[in-house]
Amino acid sequence: MSWLDVLSAVLLISGGIFFLTGTVGMLRFSSCYSRLHALTKADNAGLGLIALGLMVQAESLWVALKILLVWALALLAATVSAHLIARFSLRVDRGTQRAPP
Amino acid sequence: MIEQWFLWGFDALLAAGLISLAYQIVAGRHMFRSVVLFIVFGLLMAIAWARLAAPDLALAEAAIGAGLTGALLLSAYRSLITDEQESSPPSAVPRWAALLAGCLAGGLVAGIGWVVVGLQSPQETAGRLALQNLADSGVDNPVTAVLLNFRSIDTLGEVVVLLVAFLAARVVAQDINHAGPGDWLRASHREPILVGPLISFIAPMALLVTGYLLWAGAHQPGGAFQAGAVLAALGVMLRLTGRLRPTTEPSLIERSALVGGVVLFSAIGLAGAGLASAVLEYPPGWDYGLILLIETALTISIALPLTLLFSGSGGFRREVR
Repeated sequence: MSWLDVLSAVLLISGGIFFLTGTVGMLRFSSCYSRLHALTKADNAGLGLIALGLMVQAESLWVALKILLVWALALLAATVSAHLIARFSLRVDRGTQRAPP
Repeated sequence: MIEQWFLWGFDALLAAGLISLAYQIVAGRHMFRSVVLFIVFGLLMAIAWARLAAPDLALAEAAIGAGLTGALLLSAYRSLITDEQESSPPSAVPRWAALLAGCLAGGLVAGIGWVVVGLQSPQETAGRLALQNLADSGVDNPVTAVLLNFRSIDTLGEVVVLLVAFLAARVVAQDINHAGPGDWLRASHREPILVGPLISFIAPMALLVTGYLLWAGAHQPGGAFQAGAVLAALGVMLRLTGRLRPTTEPSLIERSALVGGVVLFSAIGLAGAGLASAVLEYPPGWDYGLILLIETALTISIALPLTLLFSGSGGFRREVR
């Protein structure tokens, strides 16, 4: 087991911990916003750590860049959907008032 | 050795997950829950195909089975609950009838399983034959070779089925208010600030992936169905964010795109009767170019009806704001 394997194992496991924390948060927290707050940690940091852990093991730079792209796309989609969910929830809470952009 | 055990455990978990999800989808009383679980089921199914070393099917399952079918089911759900809140009606089927049907179905499955287990494995399979003749097909990907050369009649049939399904849906569909964009498009609401940048980033990406999948289909997993599904997903997103507005009637371009795949495929297939040895046979040396041409037309002919089905409309026009 080389130090590269150890590094990637550490990154993957810490990514997994972020996901576990996010999942527990989503199941246990009460309001929509705090659940989103828990989930974004898993999406941003957890997926980022796992992508990093896989990039360390990638066979070529090209593959590593593709993994980076996957992370960037997931990040973008997660950000926008979390924003939309929060906005929708805010509007439902406040009735017909317009949500701040 | 230990890796083998990990894979066994993973496969067992996957199979158990699929079965329990399938049970919950069918037995659940809440329709919305079932729809969401169906999307999860499609994702697990895609992983199962990937584990079975069938990346083409995994791609198609993830894009069509989980993504687009999920979007279609959600849009159907939305139009089902427009005027009544979701309720859980008591089961109308008497218990003894359900038990009887369950027993009969179980017996049928057990009987088929018994027969399948007893089958002799065939000596000369069609798959081996196809792999032997791969060099004659014009493409390097065995799946594309089977879909568009060795058994292209099946593919033609599939595209006709999709077109007929769209026409049937148009006949029974009533209005085009389903699956509309978020109500930010109403006068007092502005579009969320992040939606515009998302579209301007994702739309070129989706077009790039569509082209790549189409091109890659000749020598590695990919092809018209996967590319078409990605293009349709882009269409769904443009529709959801209000970039496309539904119209009742398709324009001339949309009509030609809808039937283009079938018409081109049939025309080239029929031309094969004169130029090559048989119907749906390509003239020697022309295989690659013709397959690419048909796949391109099919991609559009698959993407458009899927997007229109989601929108519940006959055509599209650009949203003017």
